Amino acid sequence: MSKHHVTTVINGDPVEFLCQPNVSLLDVLRDELNMTGTKEGCGTGDCGACSVTLDGRLVCSCLVLGVEAQGKSIQTIEGMANGETLHVLQRKFLEHAALQCGICTPGFLIAARSLLERNNNPTEEEVRFWLAGNLCRCTGYNNIITAVLEAAREMRGA
Amino acid sequence: MQADIAATPVKAVKVTFTAGFSRRYTDSIREFEVQAKNIRGVIRAMNELFPGLGETLEEETSIAIDGVIHEVDYTQPVKPGSEVFFIPRIEGG
Amino acid sequence: MLTNTKDIEQVMKVVGTSPVRPDGVPKVTGQAQYGADYSLPGMLWAKVLRSPHAHARILSVDTSKAAALPGVKGIILGSDFPDHPFDYVGPERVAQNYWHMTRNIMAREKALFEGHAIAAVAATTLAIAAEAVSLIEVKYEVLQHCIDVEDAMKPDAPLLFEDMITRGVEPAPSKPSNISKRLEFSVGDIAAGFASADEVVEMSFKTAAVHQGYIEPHSCLARYGADGQCELWSASQGHFVVRAYTAKLVGMEIGNLLVHPAEIGGGFGGKTVVYVEPMAVLLSRKTGHPVKIMMSREDVFKSTGPTSGSSMTVKIGVKKDGTIVAAEGLFKFQAGAFPGSPVMNATMCAFAPYIIPNVKSVGFDVVSNRPKSAAYRAPGSPISAFAVESVLDILAKKIGMDPLKLRLKNAVKAGSPTAWGPKHSHDGYAETIQALLDHPQYNKPLGKNQGRGVASGFWFNGGGESTASVHINEDGTVVIATGSMDVGGSRASMALMAAETLGVPYESVRSTVADTASIGYNHVTGGSRVTYATGIAVVEACNKVIEDLRLRASLMWDTDIKNVVWSDGYAKPVDKSVGNFEPLSLKAIAGKRAVTGGPIGYEASTNAGGQAPGFSTQFVDVEVDPETGAVKILQFVAAQDVGRAIHRDYCAGQIVGGVVQGIGWALNEEYIYDSKGRLSNAGFLDYRIPVASDLPMIEAVLVEVPNPSHPFGVKGVGEANIVPPMAAIANAIENAIGRRMTELPMSPPRVLAAIDAG
Repeated sequence: MSKHHVTTVINGDPVEFLCQPNVSLLDVLRDELNMTGTKEGCGTGDCGACSVTLDGRLVCSCLVLGVEAQGKSIQTIEGMANGETLHVLQRKFLEHAALQCGICTPGFLIAARSLLERNNNPTEEEVRFWLAGNLCRCTGYNNIITAVLEAAREMRGA
Repeated sequence: MQADIAATPVKAVKVTFTAGFSRRYTDSIREFEVQAKNIRGVIRAMNELFPGLGETLEEETSIAIDGVIHEVDYTQPVKPGSEVFFIPRIEGG
Repeated sequence: MLTNTKDIEQVMKVVGTSPVRPDGVPKVTGQAQYGADYSLPGMLWAKVLRSPHAHARILSVDTSKAAALPGVKGIILGSDFPDHPFDYVGPERVAQNYWHMTRNIMAREKALFEGHAIAAVAATTLAIAAEAVSLIEVKYEVLQHCIDVEDAMKPDAPLLFEDMITRGVEPAPSKPSNISKRLEFSVGDIAAGFASADEVVEMSFKTAAVHQGYIEPHSCLARYGADGQCELWSASQGHFVVRAYTAKLVGMEIGNLLVHPAEIGGGFGGKTVVYVEPMAVLLSRKTGHPVKIMMSREDVFKSTGPTSGSSMTVKIGVKKDGTIVAAEGLFKFQAGAFPGSPVMNATMCAFAPYIIPNVKSVGFDVVSNRPKSAAYRAPGSPISAFAVESVLDILAKKIGMDPLKLRLKNAVKAGSPTAWGPKHSHDGYAETIQALLDHPQYNKPLGKNQGRGVASGFWFNGGGESTASVHINEDGTVVIATGSMDVGGSRASMALMAAETLGVPYESVRSTVADTASIGYNHVTGGSRVTYATGIAVVEACNKVIEDLRLRASLMWDTDIKNVVWSDGYAKPVDKSVGNFEPLSLKAIAGKRAVTGGPIGYEASTNAGGQAPGFSTQFVDVEVDPETGAVKILQFVAAQDVGRAIHRDYCAGQIVGGVVQGIGWALNEEYIYDSKGRLSNAGFLDYRIPVASDLPMIEAVLVEVPNPSHPFGVKGVGEANIVPPMAAIANAIENAIGRRMTELPMSPPRVLAAIDAG
């Protein structure tokens, strides 16, 4: 199988890569582009650790083919902070101890940002249901939910 | 010549094993009394009674000294009258 | 919420606060490197061929077609590993038998479970490795299999090992079986005890195997050099243990293997053993290239140790006033394909929270055609607690006593006896019960189909070997290193203890985890031992540094060392008579280090003892949907004696995390096998762990009864919290709908069947 040439934008930067048509975007990010911030937890779209946004849509990158990135814009965890300045969600996750081992954290941050872009004042229930596709085995979710609600509050300027 | 000074009897250290361990290694006897100031002494005393037992105690057990759990450590002091209980070594997850 | 149960003598400056952890920014920005995040130039990818059969003799393995595929650089089989004599070594409770262990890494004579590794291929790309695996031809003679522990114990059960004679039975049985071991702990006279009881309840229970469920699959990268030196990057709960196991299994000296601690994406006990590391090292040696292996999620479920499933019977007798007079337990545990279930823990922990004069606790370790069990958070104790805490609830109802008060009446404290021998050494259990009795929500009225249940749990907690080093940088900042993998923020806790001991701000302390060549031996991050034992090593190293700082100051002031005290982060003259000296900061002393003796730093190691066990008492409110059998958690309050919370948020985090794992264990998680012994739900879709929308906020109550054996009073916190939830939920369901669930998980079809059974 010969490789396809893909041109895309990742975290605002133009990126080109070669990949076979049956390789996932997750594998391209991690193994071709050395962007290992996006994690593989299951490879079958059940855990959300590989969450990225594709043209603004929250997706599991293990369920997207690398070739599907052609002409699209991808946001990964590596693009979340602005240089030295962390995104408010990243800050709140740290302040509220919303991570223990941290493997699910990139996926949760991407998913949470996607929620807050759509709904800047979610209820606790709305946050829990939006994040139901992201598995965490360490924290029991308490502090993740709190961190997202606090981030929303700060972003609203409340 | 100086008169002999009568030695004050020092209270023995009580050494206890679980039923299963004693069946395997100490002829099913569970309790012993030994003279020792530290765990090194306890192990030496038990090894004299059952040659080879010392190494087993070092490798396979933890100890509870009057209930407080310790790893087997030669230098761990033991007071007269203490109870030293050899228990299965503990591991967690 | 804090319940102070004893005076805290010292006023802590930093211990007890909740600062941001040192590895926090790397983890929220995706920079932190976990086991699968490393790569090296010229790296090969490895894929593993695994048995599709639950039980089969391996007649032949033909790798010729695979080897001929361009890009394939090396293939290994079980026979490429050195064999080991059949011998149980080490502590009885966790005896290792390397004859078993090497066969768990890769099969030899037989495939003993679906997913058992048969061969591994290293190739230039993952795709080529996967294709090569599909070209390996294996001839199997498929055998009858057994999964369930009762089935495996039957006299006509298919045998995994033709020569397995049950240990712990006298006289030894004449015929082989799948029962690896029998053990027993007893005290008193249970026949007399039961005869004196006013109420006796006996009941049988079954639990299914559940997986630790860490989100990160096992991964590693190995580079074996032509000089026999190997470097390994591995995500584990203990890189020194990884080094020891891997070196022995591969047949190399420990000193030639350097293990780097990758960040770990969850372990819970399942990463205290090795799976892929020996394969990666051997392939790297064979091919002369670095080799990376990452397990798929399916491989993790099929091939790595979950905890045991079980079959149990528990009988408890009480007097009318609630005094427990006798208890008997029979615990049969699945070990998986090789011996080593946590049944001994289970038999010891089952009745441990209670003063009972007559106890008989019997356990069986039974092999069956499933992956070998591995430790899972307080291994064994949650399983036996499900049975014991359920029976206690039934008895409480029979005698009309509040279930918390029944527990309080019989609660152990320092000096209370245990069934396995020594006395309990610490208080703390009764305080956790009292914390719930005092909780404002405990007596809140409930509605229709709602119920409340309580349960308690005990776990030993570990001590053991740890090493820490503390160095003062030229600018007076501090760097500390330990060999304890950080699963939940322990770098921060170590820094807090160092900062408190030295009297400096938390922000001036760098806290790291060093590789096996850069720090002395550290035992695993598990057994709730790190804050305790590694904390002791950190404090001891800091104390050595303080002695040296006093010496340096005395040289700078040209006075005797006894005139110098260390206080609040400064060297100070003991009184004015010594001279008019301004206090010296770490920075000032570090600036003069060259003339006062050179760099300032010390290492301390310990084989820590004196640790206190963990006790947790919990209540849960549930609502049962009578149409679907679904159980909703309305409220969950978990109290645990933590001794002293070094980092309050991370302490509470451990409690909440363990409770939620317990909720999954109670309500949904199980291994489902088909008729051929193959796993039907080897993925997170159908192996359903709790998600955010399943849960309310869980409340953790930190009870602090300090342990005098630790410089800050610490008691291990990680594990005891997973022991009570399953029974608490079963008791709540009974309270809600009057049905006693005796089988885990209490999934909707089972609850519905119980409701319909009437």
